[in-house]
Amino acid sequence: MTETLLKVEGLKTYFYTEAGIVKAVDGVSFDVRKGETLGLVGESGSGKTVTSLSVLRIVPKPGRIVEGKIELKGENLLAKSEKEMQSIRGREIAMIFQDPSSSLVPVYTVETQLRDVLSAHEKISKDDAHKKILDLMNLVGIPEAEIRMREFPHQFSGGMKQRVAIARALALEPELLFADEPTTALDVTIQAQVLDLLEDLKKKMGMSLVMITHDMGIIAKMTSRVVVMYAGNVAEIAKTDDLYYRPRHPYTALLLAAVPRLDRKKTLSIIPGNIPNLIEPPSGCRFHPRCEFATKKCEEAPPVLEEVEPDHFVACYEWKNITLKGETGKND
Amino acid sequence: MNLENEKPNGGGKRRSASQWAVAWRRFRRNKAGVAGLVIVLAVVFIGIFGDFIAPYPAYPANGAFGPFYKGDVRTAPNSHYLMGTDVLGTDVFSDILHGTKFALYVGVVVTIITMAIAILVGAVAGYFGSWVDNVLMRITEVFLVFPSLLFILIFVRVFTLGGGAGSSFNFLGISVPFGLTIVVVVLAIFNWPGDARMIRGEFLRVRELEFVEAEKALGAGNRRIIFRHILPNILSSIIVVASLTIAYAILLEAGVSFLGFGDVSTMTWGQILENNFSDMRIVWWAEVFPGLAILITVFGFNLLGDGLSDALNPRLRD
Amino acid sequence: MRRLLYMIPVAIGISIIAFLTMYAAGDPIALIKAGKPNINEATLSGLRTYYGLDKPIPLQYVNWLMNILQLNFGKSLYGGLPVNQIIGPRIWPTIELQIVSLLIAFAVSIPIAVQSARKPYSKQDVAVTSFSLFGVSMPTFWFGLILIIVFSFTLGWFPSAGSQGVAGFVWWGNSFFDQIAHLILPVAVLVYVSLAQNIRLIRANMLEVLRSDYILAARASGLSERKVVYSYALRNAITPAITFLGIALGGMIAGAPMTEYVFSWPGLGRQYVTSTLNLDFPTIMGITMIITVMTLIANLIMDVLYVYIDPRVRIR
Ligand SMILES: Nc1ncnc2c1ncn2[C@@H]1O[C@H](COP(=O)(O)OP(=O)(O)OP(=O)(O)O)[C@@H](O)[C@H]1O
Ligand code: SF4
Ligand SMILES: [Mg+2]
Repeated sequence: MTETLLKVEGLKTYFYTEAGIVKAVDGVSFDVRKGETLGLVGESGSGKTVTSLSVLRIVPKPGRIVEGKIELKGENLLAKSEKEMQSIRGREIAMIFQDPSSSLVPVYTVETQLRDVLSAHEKISKDDAHKKILDLMNLVGIPEAEIRMREFPHQFSGGMKQRVAIARALALEPELLFADEPTTALDVTIQAQVLDLLEDLKKKMGMSLVMITHDMGIIAKMTSRVVVMYAGNVAEIAKTDDLYYRPRHPYTALLLAAVPRLDRKKTLSIIPGNIPNLIEPPSGCRFHPRCEFATKKCEEAPPVLEEVEPDHFVACYEWKNITLKGETGKND
Repeated sequence: MNLENEKPNGGGKRRSASQWAVAWRRFRRNKAGVAGLVIVLAVVFIGIFGDFIAPYPAYPANGAFGPFYKGDVRTAPNSHYLMGTDVLGTDVFSDILHGTKFALYVGVVVTIITMAIAILVGAVAGYFGSWVDNVLMRITEVFLVFPSLLFILIFVRVFTLGGGAGSSFNFLGISVPFGLTIVVVVLAIFNWPGDARMIRGEFLRVRELEFVEAEKALGAGNRRIIFRHILPNILSSIIVVASLTIAYAILLEAGVSFLGFGDVSTMTWGQILENNFSDMRIVWWAEVFPGLAILITVFGFNLLGDGLSDALNPRLRD
Repeated sequence: MRRLLYMIPVAIGISIIAFLTMYAAGDPIALIKAGKPNINEATLSGLRTYYGLDKPIPLQYVNWLMNILQLNFGKSLYGGLPVNQIIGPRIWPTIELQIVSLLIAFAVSIPIAVQSARKPYSKQDVAVTSFSLFGVSMPTFWFGLILIIVFSFTLGWFPSAGSQGVAGFVWWGNSFFDQIAHLILPVAVLVYVSLAQNIRLIRANMLEVLRSDYILAARASGLSERKVVYSYALRNAITPAITFLGIALGGMIAGAPMTEYVFSWPGLGRQYVTSTLNLDFPTIMGITMIITVMTLIANLIMDVLYVYIDPRVRIR
């Protein structure tokens, strides 16, 4: 179970805007293992979406991957031609977006959109495609699939749209799925259903899942490892339990404290300070303006990720000298 | 997912002085916009001083030929007459310089009237919503499918019948041609609906912003909210639209004059084109140069408008 | 189809405005007199009874409207020909010119706008945007003048005026080529002007659509770039352009006076200019109504197309 599927190393993706260069992802490294669910957390604007778009090499203009290595099963994706990438997208790596209402094309029927995905990767007759789409829609739990596939996205409810989006992402049974906040736009009652569905399908298909979210509750429930991002950098990578009980990075600790958990009645404490401007990010450790443990050194050079115990990486100078409070009430 | 960059005006607070400075810096970097500004400034300069720069005096309004008339009818461009002389024997280059003030008069006054009506109507509809809004939107829709040029022509024709041509009135010590003013008013009457629609949209947007809600909660009156809070916020959009409206009005007046509906005694650029149209096989210069003047001026205002829109209001950008 | 219902009040509104315009400056007969001082009194009073001008205004309006609904616009004040006979043969040349131009402009603008939007702010895009801005800054009629000076006076390639388009399009023989030769310059003018508008509009829509999530999602599922751009993005970008097209076509038809005047095109627009200068009200009203109806029909066609192309409207 520890075979590496995807390896990202020193990834830098910048946006060359009129106002300046936005260093949205600036030296990010992590890996995704076969069959695992990896969490990717961080505040809004920390670069989670841009990271996943980079892996698929669909960063929108004026953004560009500047540097780094992205390896899928040992093959360097950055060296692939656009044609080769097209056959990888959807078939080996797929992605689900945050808002299902805007991620489906309004002018085509669900069937057409799903068929387009199928036929982009293989020659398939209309009949075969129809059967396959029917199966897919049944798989993601859309009732009356035969009728509904002929409808347009706006005729579906939010939860149903997200199911369609999931069906599209899973159409070619990818090995790796990026789910970018797949439930944020949905009603609370629907959220749990969609998450269960994802978890279920992931097990059935044996794929790896990268779960992008703000919600530490989802992280705790679904993931086995977590990558914490801050302002385009990786702050900490750890097994989910380790992260909860023994966070090593001051930012992680604040995240854990800030997020209300369903199982505990705690007042929401907001992380003080603002997300840094990514055009001129703070020097040294990008977290230092908001960090209560910051020292002179922290302002000078950025800390590198170091392994503090097996499978637990932290980018912080002070990790040895500080004790952080993790979760205490969580029982497995 | 939000891949949009941070919008400078996104917060919806009143634009502070520093925001204008930021906009100015952004504008300065936009070469096309700056080129537009340069053209516009040059046109304004010529508009003010054109009468003094011009080598020959203006064609007199009453049609009597003055001493400047050299009898050089239809001379091709040469060192005396940079752009030749037209069928009446006046110097085309001088005519263009003299005509600049009329172009500006048309552009600016049409825009002022248009914007005044548009802001009033747009503000009422955008701020109060409900049936006022509904009625306004139906009216502007009618205007949008309305063959307005046809009506402009006939209105101008009918209103200038009463002998408006040739006479002028005095406004703040400046003599303003009466016939041209009629054209200007008619153009404005048919031009406001589009702008009103735009301003209504802006009002709707700003009305929803938090600080306006907060003001309302504090019990500020409608007038105060509209004039103190909403209008300053949409000022940038108004500036952009105004600049584009000036361009449009100049273009339209030229067309109306060219078709023979203008104020025959006021030598606007369109009027020069009309006077020489039937002889254009010979006096091509009297068609080419005034048209170029229109093109450059209108292009200048359009460039400026686009540049301003990029700088002030990235949201409105193409 | 709600817009269809709007058309009725729109048409009535325009007819009232059209009618009142005739009276805006007073008695139309007085206007005719002002416009043509040496017309004789007997003719004038004859006209007065003939047009029923001695009746009350609302009644006149109703009579006038009834006549118009039966396509009876009366007789021209100049030459006394029935207005129908003046207008009839001029409808087709106008439509021919506009439709040919519109189709060419639309077909040409799509690929240009798409390419431009795919690489925003690139050299090519800047060139295209400046070109379109230049295009919308150009007086239509003046561009026509320049083309005439260059291509017909100087080079002698195309005729500058005198199309025989009156009989309609002829598909064979010299007449056909003559027709084409006469069409080229005016079509070039109309295409250039509406090209600029179309490009600006489609490019703007494309830019917005290309930024949307569904385009990212389509890319993320491995669709080819061509499919993404031409089938997903373009389809969505064109939808809002369709309604605009209706307005644009309306604008072009209504703007016909300019081009037709320059090229002496025997269409409604040129006739309108002549008749308006002459204050020939029956003809003016006839042409106004015909052009209004054409504009409304153009808008209606676009609306139907819109409904067909955008499923969200269709279902509702
Ligand atoms: N098209 C773009 N142009 C300019 N900057 C961009 C663009 N897309 C993203 N960015 C910048 O990249 C940074 C990271 O954005 P990203 O969307 O990856 O954040 P995120 O972690 O996914 O946040 P969220 O939780 O809000 O989705 C942001 O600061 C954003 O401003
Ligand atoms: S490196 Fe310094 S500033 Fe950064 S998190 Fe650690 S202690 Fe805080
Ligand atoms: Mg995101």
